[in-house]
Amino acid sequence: MSSYNQTKNAAELCVLLIRELYGQLPSRIFEILMASGRSTVQQLGRISSLGLRQVRHGLAVLVQQNLVYHYTDSDTSRTIYEANHYFAYNIVRNGKILDCVHRNYGEDAKRIVHLVMASGHMRVGSIVDAYLKNHGKLAKNVNGLSDQPNSHEDDDPFADTAPEEPQVSGYQVLDDIAHLIAIGILEPLSPKMLQSPEDIKSEVDKDLMKAYPSGLRGKQKGEHETRVANTVRDIRNKSQDLKMRLEPAYLYGSGAKRRKLANGDRSNGFSAANDDDAIEDSILLRVNYEKCLVELRNQRLCQFVDDHVGYTTAQVYGAMLTALSKKLPCCQPDPQGGDSIDPLNPPTVTTIEIFEYLKASVDVFGGIGKPSADQINVTSAEKVERQPPSGEGDADDYGIDGQASIEEDSDNDDDVDMGMANGHLNGTHGGDDGEAFGQNGAKDTKVKFADKGPTKAERMQRMRQHLLVLAESGIHFVRHSGTRDQGEWTVDFEVLFRQLRFVELDTIIEDTFGREGLRLIKILRAKGKIDDKTLPTMALMQKGDVHMKMVEMELAGFLDVQEVPRDNNRVAARTLFLWFFDEHRTLTRTLDNTYKAMVRHLQRLDVEAQKKKNILSLVERSDVQGMEEEKLSGDAFNEYQSFLDIQSRLLGQVSKLDDLVSVLRDF
Amino acid sequence: MDDKKELLKDQLYQACEEKLEGPDETAYNRSFSQEDLQNLPICRELKIDLKSLMGLVQSLTNDRRFIPLQSPSGPVWRLRPQEEANKYRGLEKDQVLVYSWIDNAGGEGIWQQTLRNRTGITQDQQFKNILKQLETKRLITSFMSVQNASHRCWIKASIKPSIKVTGGPWYADGDLDESFINILLNVVFDFIKDQGSYSTRAGGGSTARGASTSPVLPKKVLKGKESDIAVAARGRKRDADAITNDDESTPLKARRANTQQRILLPMPAGYNNYITLTEITERIAAANITRGTKLKESDVKQLLDVLIYDSRIEEIKVGRRVGYRAMRISKHDPANFVPGSVPSYDLPSNGLTEAPCGRCPVFELCQEGGPVWAGGCEYFDEWLA
Repeated sequence: MSSYNQTKNAAELCVLLIRELYGQLPSRIFEILMASGRSTVQQLGRISSLGLRQVRHGLAVLVQQNLVYHYTDSDTSRTIYEANHYFAYNIVRNGKILDCVHRNYGEDAKRIVHLVMASGHMRVGSIVDAYLKNHGKLAKNVNGLSDQPNSHEDDDPFADTAPEEPQVSGYQVLDDIAHLIAIGILEPLSPKMLQSPEDIKSEVDKDLMKAYPSGLRGKQKGEHETRVANTVRDIRNKSQDLKMRLEPAYLYGSGAKRRKLANGDRSNGFSAANDDDAIEDSILLRVNYEKCLVELRNQRLCQFVDDHVGYTTAQVYGAMLTALSKKLPCCQPDPQGGDSIDPLNPPTVTTIEIFEYLKASVDVFGGIGKPSADQINVTSAEKVERQPPSGEGDADDYGIDGQASIEEDSDNDDDVDMGMANGHLNGTHGGDDGEAFGQNGAKDTKVKFADKGPTKAERMQRMRQHLLVLAESGIHFVRHSGTRDQGEWTVDFEVLFRQLRFVELDTIIEDTFGREGLRLIKILRAKGKIDDKTLPTMALMQKGDVHMKMVEMELAGFLDVQEVPRDNNRVAARTLFLWFFDEHRTLTRTLDNTYKAMVRHLQRLDVEAQKKKNILSLVERSDVQGMEEEKLSGDAFNEYQSFLDIQSRLLGQVSKLDDLVSVLRDF
Repeated sequence: MDDKKELLKDQLYQACEEKLEGPDETAYNRSFSQEDLQNLPICRELKIDLKSLMGLVQSLTNDRRFIPLQSPSGPVWRLRPQEEANKYRGLEKDQVLVYSWIDNAGGEGIWQQTLRNRTGITQDQQFKNILKQLETKRLITSFMSVQNASHRCWIKASIKPSIKVTGGPWYADGDLDESFINILLNVVFDFIKDQGSYSTRAGGGSTARGASTSPVLPKKVLKGKESDIAVAARGRKRDADAITNDDESTPLKARRANTQQRILLPMPAGYNNYITLTEITERIAAANITRGTKLKESDVKQLLDVLIYDSRIEEIKVGRRVGYRAMRISKHDPANFVPGSVPSYDLPSNGLTEAPCGRCPVFELCQEGGPVWAGGCEYFDEWLA
C-alpha cells in the first residue's frame, strides 16, 4: 500500500484541495501537471492556454507551498516541474496536525507550525519576526489560513489570546523552533528536497558515471549502484544534521533546559541560549509531514485501543507511543532503503521510559478487571516475544518461547497473583525508587490504596498491567520484547496495521452487508478459496441466503469468483465455483472510494457555497469580517450560521474519511 | 460334502470374525483380501486350496455373509453381521436386489432414482411395491437428504442416517434450523462474555467515558494558561515535581466518583479462566437448552467458529489453555442486556460508513456532470438536513 497509485479520484481530490486553499490558478496548473506529467513552463502555457506570466505566477505559489518538484537540468538549463501529490494530499491534514501539535507540544509550538504551514516554507528569521509581530503585541488575523474553509477548526484561538500574552522574546521563539526541529516536526529545507527523488537519483547517477567514460562492465555495475544509493542517502540525511545536533539538548538532555521546556515556564531564564546559535536566521524550514504522520498515527492507535480494550488502556498506550515515537522519524519504511531502522529490530522503550510520559491524571488502577489471585497465569502474561509475529498462523511456540524467557518468574508460579507478579519484579528492579514497597503483601496493597494514595511504584506496575493486556491482544498492539528496566516494549507497526486495515474493512463490510456478509468474507479470508457448497456448512447459513449474499458482495467488488470446469463441457453443473477474497484489490478499491467520497464532500461544499453566494460575499467584506453578528441582519446572519454548520459537517466528514485513508495507505 | 462345506463356511466366517477388532460399529468395516483369507490359520491348518477357498467365499457371498468389494489391489470382502445376513431370508429375488443396494449404501442411504437405475427395475409400480413391502417388513425407511432437499432416500431401518445427509444437530426435518442456531450463538456468546469479563460499577476505574467523545485527550486546552494535562501532554518529560505529585493526585478523586452504572472491563493479561470449548459444551448440556439433541464438542466448535468469523469473540491462549473471550468488551452495555438476545452495543463505524457516499447505491455512477452528482445528491440533502 505504500506506493501512491494515482487514480482519477485521488488526482481530483488534490486539485480540489489546492483550489480550496490557494485558489483557481495554482489548482489549474496542478491539474495539468497531474494529467500530463513533467512539464516545462512553455508546455504548461501551451496546454493551459494561459500566458507564461500567469503560469509562472501559479507555479510560484505551488513552489512556495512545496506542491511541485522542480528540477533544472545543468546541461540544457531547462526547468521541469512535476506535481507532488503527496504534499497536495497532506493539505487535508493541516488542521489535524495543528491540533495534534497543540495538544502534544503546546500553544507556542502550534503557532510556529501554523506560521510555517501557512507559508509553505519560511526562514527562521522570518518566523521569529512574524511570531513577535503577531503575538508579541496585539495583532489580529495574521494568516489567511485560518479563514480558509479548509482549516478544520471552528475558531482561531489566535485572535483573542494575543492581548494577554506575556512578553515573548526572540530567544524564546528560537528555543521553541529548535525544539520542534529536534522532534522532527519542522525540517530544514534544502534545494535538493524540492527535486523529485527520481531526479536526484538520475543526477547522482550521471555524476558518478563520469568516472566510467567507457561505460560499466561486469562487477562495476553492482558497485556503481551501491554508490548511487549511498550518495542519495547522504543527500537525504544532510537535512537531518541540524536535527541531530539539536536532539541531545532537547530530547535526551537532562537538567535545567529540559525542565524549563516541560514546565513551559518562562521565568527560568535562557541559560542554554547559546545552543540556539545552532539555528541560523537564514535556514529555511518547512513542516515535515512524515513526522507529523507519526504523531497522527499515535492518536489514531489510541482511538483503536479505546475501541477494542478501554479508555484507560488507551491512555497508557498513548504514553507508550509518545515515548516510542521519539525514535521513529516516519511511518513507513522508505521504499528506496537507507533507513536507520531495521524491521527485524524495531526500536523499543522500557517501562520506566513509558512511565515518564504517563500523565498524572490517568487512573491506571481502573480499566482492567480484578479477578482472584489464582486465576492469573503470570508465566503466560509475562511472556516475552523477542521476534515479531510472522503474521501467518500462530504456531505453537509457547513451549519454546515461554520457557526460555521466563525462568526468572518461575519461582512465583505457585502462589501468584497480580500484586505478586508485580511485587516480584519490584523486588528485583524496583530498589531505585527508594520506596519501601511491600512486595509480597498483595492483600495489604489493595487495602492500602483505599486510605492513601498509591505510590509511584504501584502506579508503574499497574501501568505495566495495561501494557500486558495490549500485548496479549490478538491485534498485536504491543510486543513485550524484553525484560530490561522492568520490561521492554515495541510495536510491530506493519503487522498491526495489516490487522487494522482489516478492522476498517470489516467495519465497512458489516455496515453494508450485515453480520452474515462479514461472516462469509472472514471465512474466505481464513480459508482461502472455497467452493460454493462448503460455505453454507461453515457459516451455518441457508444455501440460498449464502448465495444471495455472495452475489451481492461480488457485485459490490468485495469478492471474486473463479470458475473451474471439471471437464471439457463447461456446463454449470460440472463446474466448481470458488469464491475468494482479494485483499489487495479490495483495499485499493476501498481507498479509491474513500478519495471519491472526499471529492464529493468538497464538491458539495462548493455547491452549498454557491447557494449562499450573496451572504458569503457580504461576509468577506473587510468591514464585516470578524464582526458578522453585529453587521449582518438577523436573517442573513442565520443563513450564514447555517452555512457554517453545513461546512463544518462536510469538512468534519472529510477529516474522518482522511482517517480512513491514513490507515489504508499511510500508516 | 455339503455338510462339510457348510461347516467349513462357518469356520471361515468365524475365523474372519475373530480377526475383527475395535468397537462394534466400525469393526465390520475391515475388509479381507484373498491373501488375508489364505493366511487365516484355519486355511493353513486344513490346507484349503485356492479353488475351494473361492468356492467357500462365493457361497458365503450368496449367503449375504460376505460382501464383495473392489479395491485398487483386487477384490476384497467384508463381513456382514449374522443378524444382518438373516434379514435377507424370506425375501423375494427383486426384494433382495433392492435391499442389497440399500444395505450397501450404509449410513448415507441411496436416492430412489439412483436405486431404480442400479437395480434395473423399470416398471414404476413394481419398484414402488417392492419398496413398500420392504418398508412394511421394517427393513428399510426413507428420509429426505439435506444436500438435495427434493431427493427421497432409502436407508436400512436399523441404522440412523449419517451426519452428512442429516446435517447434524443444525437441521430439523431437513431444514436448517436458523432460529435454533441463532439462539445458541447468543447463549454461547453470553457464556463467553460473562466468564471473560469483569463487571463493575463505573467509577471503579477511570471509566467515566463521556459517551464516545475523543478518547485520547481533551480536544482543546484552555487558552492562555495551560492546564496540567496540557503540560503533561506536551510530550516532554515531566519535571521531578510532577512525578512525585502523582501519589496523591487525581486518580483517587476519580475513583470515588461512584456512579451506579454497570460496566464491563477486560481481564488482565494471563487470566487463565477464559471459558474453554469443553466448558461451554458442558454448560450447554447442563442448561438443557438443546431440546434433547446432545451437542458434541465439534458442534460447539462450529458455533465458536461462526462467532469468531462474526468478529464477536476471539480465541485466546493462556499457557496451554485455549479459551474464548468477547471482542470490544468495554463497549458492551450490561445495563440493558437481555440474556440470549442479540447483544446491544454500538457497532464500530468509520468515515466511510457514516458518510452518505459509503452507502450510496449509485456511487459508481456519481460524477460531475453525470446523472448523479454531489450538488444534486438527495442523500446529501438528507444527511445535511
